[in-house]
Amino acid sequence: MIAAVRWELRKLRAQLRAKAVLLAALVGPVPIVLVIHGQSRPPKDSLFGRFATDNGFALSLLVLGFAAQWVLPLLTAIVAGDIFASEDQHGTWKTVLTRSTSRSRLFWAKVLVAAGFAVVTVAVLAAATVLASLVIVGRQPLVGLSGQTIDPSSALRLVAASWATTLPPVLGFTGLAVLLSVWSRNPAVGIAAPVVLGMVMQLVGALGGLDPARQGLLTTPFDAWHGLMTSPRFTGPLTQGLAVSAVWSVAALAAAYVLFRRRDITGG
Amino acid sequence: MKTGRPVLRAAPFIETSSGAAYGSGMPEPALAVDVEGVTKTYGHLTAVDDLSLRVGAGEVYGVLGPNGAGKTTLLRMLFGLIRPDSGTIRLFGRTWADDGVGVLDGVAGFIESPRFYPYLTGLQNLQGLALLDGDSPRGRVEEALDVVDLTDRARDKVGGYSYGMRQRLGVAASLIREPRLLVLDEPANGLDPAGIRDMRALVKRLADGGLTVLLSSHHMDEVEEICDNVTILSRGSVAFHGTIRDLRGLAPDPGYRLATTDDARAVSLARAGVEVRADPDGGLVVSGPRTAVSQYVAALVRADVELLEFVPTHTPLEALFFMLTGAEPEPAAVPPGVPAEVPAEVPS
Repeated sequence: MIAAVRWELRKLRAQLRAKAVLLAALVGPVPIVLVIHGQSRPPKDSLFGRFATDNGFALSLLVLGFAAQWVLPLLTAIVAGDIFASEDQHGTWKTVLTRSTSRSRLFWAKVLVAAGFAVVTVAVLAAATVLASLVIVGRQPLVGLSGQTIDPSSALRLVAASWATTLPPVLGFTGLAVLLSVWSRNPAVGIAAPVVLGMVMQLVGALGGLDPARQGLLTTPFDAWHGLMTSPRFTGPLTQGLAVSAVWSVAALAAAYVLFRRRDITGG
Repeated sequence: MKTGRPVLRAAPFIETSSGAAYGSGMPEPALAVDVEGVTKTYGHLTAVDDLSLRVGAGEVYGVLGPNGAGKTTLLRMLFGLIRPDSGTIRLFGRTWADDGVGVLDGVAGFIESPRFYPYLTGLQNLQGLALLDGDSPRGRVEEALDVVDLTDRARDKVGGYSYGMRQRLGVAASLIREPRLLVLDEPANGLDPAGIRDMRALVKRLADGGLTVLLSSHHMDEVEEICDNVTILSRGSVAFHGTIRDLRGLAPDPGYRLATTDDARAVSLARAGVEVRADPDGGLVVSGPRTAVSQYVAALVRADVELLEFVPTHTPLEALFFMLTGAEPEPAAVPPGVPAEVPAEVPS
C-alpha cells in the first residue's frame, strides 16, 4: 500500500495540473484580497461583506463563503476527478494492474492521495487567504454574527477553525469526484461534474420548503462555520455537517470501489 | 471444445520443447500456463469459447489467430484484467481465486501496445512500476533499459518516444520483474522491418535464456520463427494446437502468382497436378506440389512463353493459417483506438 501511495505521489508531483492548483491556491487569494480591499463600497449583501474592506478577518471569511460555492469542489475535483480516469485516458490500467499490486491497494492509494491533496490545497488556500487579508487589510477586532466583538487572537483561531470546517464536505466532494472518475472513465466528467453537482445542490438548498432535503446536501456543511461566529456558539450544524459529509464520502467511495473491483479492463 | 470448425490436433497431448509430455501418466512438469475450459462472452459475442491451453515451463508458445480470434481476451484473462465467465486459469499452479495478485509472481508482459505515463521519463516510468512490484535490487531498471537499448533515451519523457521505443520499454518493464513467464501480445505490431527484426531477436535471446514465452500474434512467420508450439485460434475456439513441425506437415501446397507474355497459352500448357487459374488482379495463379510447379515452369520456358513475374502468393503455413481460421489474407484494418478483440465499450 505504501509503495502504491508513493507511486501515486510521484505521478502527482510530475503533473503540471496539480502544481498549477497548488500555485493558484497559494497566489490566487492575493489579487482577490487586493481587489476587495480596494473597493469603495463593500459587498454588504454577503456574510461579513459589510466589514470586508477594513477588517482582515472579515475579508478572509468573505473569501471562504465565496470559495465554498464552487472553488473548493473544483480544487479537489481537479485531482480526484482525474486520478482514475486519467489511467483510462492514457491506457495505463493494463500497465499497473499487471504488476504485483492488487486493485484494492491501488484504489485506496489513489483515494488517499486525492484526499491528501484536497486537504493540503484547502490548507494552502486558507493560509494564503488569511495571511494576505491580515497583511493587506489588518488585524482589527471582528464583529461577530450576533454583534459581539471578537478580539484579534480569538478571531484568528475562529477564522482558522471556520476554514477547517470545510474539510469534511471537501472530502465528500473528493469521494464524489472519485466515483465520477471511476464511473465515467473520462477526466473531463470527473472534474466538471462534481462542480456542476455542487452548484445544483446550492440551488436546491436555496429553494424554500425543502429543509429536510437541504440538510442532506453536501453543500450545506460548507455553512456550518456560521455557528462559530455567534455568541453563544452553536455546534449542531458542525456535527450534522460532519455526519452528512461522512455519509456522502463513504457512499461514493463504496460505490467507486465496487465499480472498480468488478470492472473488466478492455481498453488501451 | 465447442466449435463449428474441425479442430486439428497434431498429437493427443501437447509436447514441451524439452520433450516431456503431459497427459502421458508421467509426473507433470510445472506448467507455466494451464487454461482449462475458459469462456468469456460480451453480450451476444463469445470472445473465447471453452478454451483450453497448457504451456510447459521453458516453452516458447505461440497463440496465433486473426484479429478478433480471442487472443488478447485470453491474455487479458491471464493477467486478471478481465474475468472469465467460466473455466480455470492457473499460472505456475496458482489461481486468481486462491492467490489474488500473487498469481502474477514471476509473470510479466504486455497486452496490445504497452502504455506508459507520457509526462514521466522512461526511467521514471520503470522506477514507478518497480515500486509497485516491491523493492527491486538496485540497478535492475537501468539493466533492463540497457537490454532493450534505451539507456540513451531513459531520461526523455515517454510522450516523445516512437512506437518502437514504447514497445521496447514495454519489454524492459517486463524484465524488471525478473519473470519466469513472459507474455507478449503482438510485440512486433506497428514496428518497421528493422524494429520487427530487433524485437524478434530480443524475444529469441530471452527465450534462449530459459524464459517461458507466451506470444500472441497474427503473423504466421513470427510464430514460426520464434515458437516451438502453437495454438491457432479462430473466433474464440481452438482450430489447431501442436508443434510448428506438425503444423508444417499439414500445410497445403504453395501458390504462385504468374505473369507471362501469353497467359492463354500458359493456361493451355497446364498439366496434371498443377492448377492454373486467372487471378482477379491480373495474371495467373499456379498451385500444386513444388515439383509439379517446377516442371510446369520449365514447360512454359520450352514453349517460348516468357515469365514476367513468378512470386509466391503465401507461404504454405500462411495458406494453412488462412484455411484454418477462415481469415482473409489481408486482414481488415481495425479503426484506431478500438481494441482488436472485444467491443470498445463493454458493460462491466
